[in-house]
Amino acid sequence: MISVMVVDDHPIWRDGVARDLSERGFEVRATAGDAGAAVRIARTVRPDVVLMDLNLGAESGVSATGQITGELPETRVLVLSASGEHADVLEAVKAGASGYLLKSSSVEDLVDAVTRTAAGDAVFTAGLAGLVLGEYRRMAADPEPRDAPRLTDRETDVLRLVAKGMTARQIATRLVLSHRTVENHVQSTLRKLQLHNRVELARYAIEHGLDAEPDGAPQ
Amino acid sequence: MSGVSGGAVVRQGQDPTLPFWRAAVILRILTLLFALGVVYYHRTFYERPWLAFVMGGVMIVWTVVVSIRYWRPVGGNLLAFTVVDLVVCCAVMTSSRWVLTFTQLKVQATPLVPTIWVTGAVAVGALHAGAVAGAAFGAVVAAFNYGVRGYFDVDLTRDMILLVGIGFALGLAASSLRQARRSQERLAEALRVEAATAERERLARSIHDGVLQVLARVRRRGAELGGEAAELAKLAGQQEVALRALVSSAPAASEEGMADLGARLKVLETDRVSVSAPATAVLVPAETATELTAAVREALINVERHAGAEARAWVLLEDLGSEIVVSVRDDGVGIAPERVAEAEREGRMGIAKSLRGRVAALGGTVNLETAPGEGVEWELRVTR
Repeated sequence: MISVMVVDDHPIWRDGVARDLSERGFEVRATAGDAGAAVRIARTVRPDVVLMDLNLGAESGVSATGQITGELPETRVLVLSASGEHADVLEAVKAGASGYLLKSSSVEDLVDAVTRTAAGDAVFTAGLAGLVLGEYRRMAADPEPRDAPRLTDRETDVLRLVAKGMTARQIATRLVLSHRTVENHVQSTLRKLQLHNRVELARYAIEHGLDAEPDGAPQ
Repeated sequence: MSGVSGGAVVRQGQDPTLPFWRAAVILRILTLLFALGVVYYHRTFYERPWLAFVMGGVMIVWTVVVSIRYWRPVGGNLLAFTVVDLVVCCAVMTSSRWVLTFTQLKVQATPLVPTIWVTGAVAVGALHAGAVAGAAFGAVVAAFNYGVRGYFDVDLTRDMILLVGIGFALGLAASSLRQARRSQERLAEALRVEAATAERERLARSIHDGVLQVLARVRRRGAELGGEAAELAKLAGQQEVALRALVSSAPAASEEGMADLGARLKVLETDRVSVSAPATAVLVPAETATELTAAVREALINVERHAGAEARAWVLLEDLGSEIVVSVRDDGVGIAPERVAEAEREGRMGIAKSLRGRVAALGGTVNLETAPGEGVEWELRVTR
C-alpha cells in the first residue's frame, strides 16, 4: 500500500484530499498545515509520497520540499498547487519535487499521479514542462555559470510535446521511441535541474562560508 | 504644441506655468499704462500726434484682448495667438517712424510709441514655446527696434541683449517647470501602480485562502456525488479556474511599452485550456503581446467551435531569445491536410487567414499541422 502525507494550510482542502485518497486505497499516514510541521512529521512517518501545497500561508512549501527530499531519499514530493504559482513550482521542482499537479485536476488524475510518483516516475503537467523548458532556455541564454546543464535535442523535443499536452504514449508514437524511453527523457530533464540546483547551493554555501557548519545534508 | 500645456491643465487642474502667464498679463497692463503716459507726455512734440493716439487706442484694445486670452492659457490656437501678438507689437513699433520726428527718432532717442509694452509678446512666446522660441521672439523685437531707428548704438544693443536674454530665461524656466511636473506625474503614476499591485496581491491572497479553497472542494465533492451536484461542480470548477487566472495575472502594462506575453496568455486558461509559459516574464512590445494574444484567442475559439465537444487545448509559449514561439494544439477531430485549403474556402478554417494576417503584420510566420483524429496545431513564430 502506498503511504501518503498531505501538506496544505487549508483544513477543508487538506482533509478532503486525505479522504479522497484513503477512500481509494492509499494509506494517509499524516497531514500537516505548515512547512515546519511537514518536515518534522515526514521524518517520523516516512511516507512514500508527500503531497505538497506551495502556498502555506506566510511560508512557502519550497524549502520544506528541499529538506524532505534531501533527508529522506525514499520519500518523493508531488507538488499539488494552484496555477499561477509558476516561480514557486519551478523552485520546488529544482529543490527536489518529482512532479506537479494542478489543484484543479480530477481525483482520477490525482490517484494516477500519486501512484506514478510512488513508482519513481516524474509527473509532468503541460504547465510544468513549459516551466522547465523555459528554465533551461533561461540558463542557456545566461553566460554564468558556464557549467549549467543543457537539454539534448531529444529531451527538448520530448518536453515541447509534453508542454503541448501530449501523453507519454502519444509522444512515443510521434517520435518513434518506447514509452519507457520517453519517461526516462522527462525524468532526466528534472534530475539534471535538481543536481545543478544542489551544486549551486553547495557553491553558494562555500562562497559564503556556510560549509563550516558540520551538519551538511546527507547526500 | 499647445496640447502640452493644455493637457497638463486638464489633467492636473493647473498648468505649472500658469502663475507666469498671469504675471505676464499684469506686466502687460502696467507697461501699457507706462506707454500711454509716455505718449501723453510727448503728445505736443510728435510729428503726428493723432497717429500716436490711434496707436494708444490699438494698444489698449490689444492689451484687453491678450489679457483675456492669456489669463487661461489653454486651447489649440495659443501658439498662433502669440505670433499674432508679436506682429501687433512690431506693427505698433513700426508706426513710430511716422509718429516721431526725424530728430526724436535719430538724435534724441525719444522712446518709440509702445516703449517696453512690446516685452509682453516676448514673455508669452517664451512661456508657451520654451527658451529657443523666447530668444527668437526677443530677437525679432530687437530687429524691429534697430530697423525703426535705422542705426546701431550701445543703447539699442543693450535692449537687444535684454530682450533675447529675457525670452531665453523665461522660456527655460517654463520648460523646466513643465518637465518637473512631468517627472512628478510619472512618480505619482509609479506609486499608483505600486499601490495597485500591493492591493492586488492582498486581494489575491485572501481569494486564494477563502473562495478558491471552497470552490475547489465543491468541484471535487460535487463531481463524486454525480447528477445535479456534478453539474454544480462543473460550474464551480469553471469559476475556480477563471478566478485563479484573474488573481494570478500581472498588471497589464509593464515598463516602457513592453508587456509580459506570458501573463497575457495565462488569462486564457480554463478548465479545457492549459497555458504553459516560462516562469520568468516574456517581455515583448505591447502591440506584439496584444496581437499574439488575440491570435491565440481566435485559435481557441476555433477549437471550441470545430474540434468537438470533448476537445482540450494546450497553449505553449517559448522564448528562444531572438524569437518567440507560441503553439496552440488541440486533441479534437482534426482535418486532412489536403482538405485544409478546401476548408479555408468553406470558411471552416476562416481563422487561418485572419491568424496569418495578424502574425504577418508582426513580421512572423504561421505553421499549421493537422490530420484526421490528430487535432490541429498552430505554431506562431515572431522574431524579437
